Amino acid sequence: MRTTLQATLARTIFAAAATLFAVEAVTAQAASDRAMKETMSIGDEPGRISTEEVVITDGPFARQVVFFRSNEEPGTVVIHTSERFLHVVMPGNRALRYGIGVGREGFQWSGLVKITRKAEWPDWTPPPEMIVRQPYLPRFMAGGPGNPMGARALYLGSTVYRIHGTNQPETIGQSISSGCFRLANGDVIDLYERVPMGAKVVIRHGATI
Amino acid sequence: MALSLKMIRQALLGGGLACLALLPQAANAGTLDDVRQRGTLNCGVSQGLFGFSERNSNGQWSGFDVDFCRAVAGAIFGDGTKVTFVPLSASERFDALREKKIDVLSRNSTWTLDREAGLGLLFAGINFHDGQGFLVRRDKKAVSALELDKSRVCVQQGTTAVAGAEDFFRTNSMTAEIKTFPDSARTLAAFEAKECDVMTTDSSGLHAERLKLAKPGDAVVLPDIISKEPLAPAVRADDIAWYTIVRWVNFALINAEELGVTAANADEAARSTKPDVKRFAGTEGEFGRKLGLSPAWALQAVKASGNYGEIFERNVGVNSRLGIPRGLNQLWLNGGILYAPPVR
Repeated sequence: MRTTLQATLARTIFAAAATLFAVEAVTAQAASDRAMKETMSIGDEPGRISTEEVVITDGPFARQVVFFRSNEEPGTVVIHTSERFLHVVMPGNRALRYGIGVGREGFQWSGLVKITRKAEWPDWTPPPEMIVRQPYLPRFMAGGPGNPMGARALYLGSTVYRIHGTNQPETIGQSISSGCFRLANGDVIDLYERVPMGAKVVIRHGATI
Repeated sequence: MALSLKMIRQALLGGGLACLALLPQAANAGTLDDVRQRGTLNCGVSQGLFGFSERNSNGQWSGFDVDFCRAVAGAIFGDGTKVTFVPLSASERFDALREKKIDVLSRNSTWTLDREAGLGLLFAGINFHDGQGFLVRRDKKAVSALELDKSRVCVQQGTTAVAGAEDFFRTNSMTAEIKTFPDSARTLAAFEAKECDVMTTDSSGLHAERLKLAKPGDAVVLPDIISKEPLAPAVRADDIAWYTIVRWVNFALINAEELGVTAANADEAARSTKPDVKRFAGTEGEFGRKLGLSPAWALQAVKASGNYGEIFERNVGVNSRLGIPRGLNQLWLNGGILYAPPVR
């Protein structure tokens, strides 16, 4: 399974230059090889409870409508990893903006993908690489309030990455995941309702010197 | 007929060229030399405007407008502290520039034709796109100013925001009850007392006023900007070389953000192998020399103040007390309209 994913990723790296045309092209701009091998590599407090009511209510990472000039169609999801924001493009130079947690350095990436699957209260199966790094993690965890995957997951193309909830809402705005994008549970539920299967997701990362 | 038009055009063109040719002589050149000789940049700022220019009890200046001058000093001296700040009122600011009390005016001044053509000064590039906006109570759940039909609108008397609001509602086939108040404090008090649903003035001002509410979190500034208030640093029109320096420091700060050059990684940028970063860092090309500055001028500016994004966030951005979203003042690549010509 993972080998297939790796091969897909490798194939699609070169298509990245033509991201506008390649539906599931993923550039691994800053992602290390290790990051690519991961699935759902996220924080590590299984059992911590965060209910679906949790939303970010104040400050920059609160869900809010902002000015956002874009050539993307309304409904497109635009993620700015450097700024820790996820935007859902709206008509009239606006976007609904959510605060997110992103991959730590070396686990940040950019590209164009589509939503290929949606799941409520997803299960969590930490990959072997993650078990090696964090041996205390469970081998499998059924979906639910204590699951680090949180209340909802949106699967990104054929990549190993997801937009998902979290049982650690205080990590929104930080860069600690392994390439996934996490929202507070209440916010990911709100997003889940707005983003249909097949929606376009543009992931952008700031320039590096 | 065609011939005479052509002749007129030639005459105009000739005249234009003559004017251009005269400029270097006519120019009261040497602001850069004066600044170097003096060892400090004289920078005109406001007498105190939250987030833009403030002086603390130790006499230390900080703010968005202050940081711009530090960046100019950085580009010239490699030292952002070599600035003498001159606090100026709105009425004395342009005279101070003309009378050479200051070298650059960095004081939330709107770039207009009247000022540029009438006062003998040049605006060196927009560094903050402000404009009239709307403050509403959060529980109204409005996401657009177009949802404000039949609102009661509080606005300060005698400001351009009165006509701006009237025109906006009329243009968009909405009605509003405009209520005016003699000063900003009473306008805000009326909004807080729910005498109106909406308060309007320039967006940056709304963010500052919002902080004064008992519960700032209960009010939101809508993303709509309905007028143009482009804030820009200004210089005298008689020294084009100096104007070019100030103009390109502004561009450099914006380009730095686009290139990923920050105050923290500026030294590292000098070792970059990327062509556009090398030109920016002065390790390729002779751009600094053409400005009369050292090769590392742009990096020095960034080291003094940070890049545009760093300056914005530190002083007025979402993580500062003012909490102004980048909005229009975001890079053109990221959904805003900030666009600087390349260092090339």
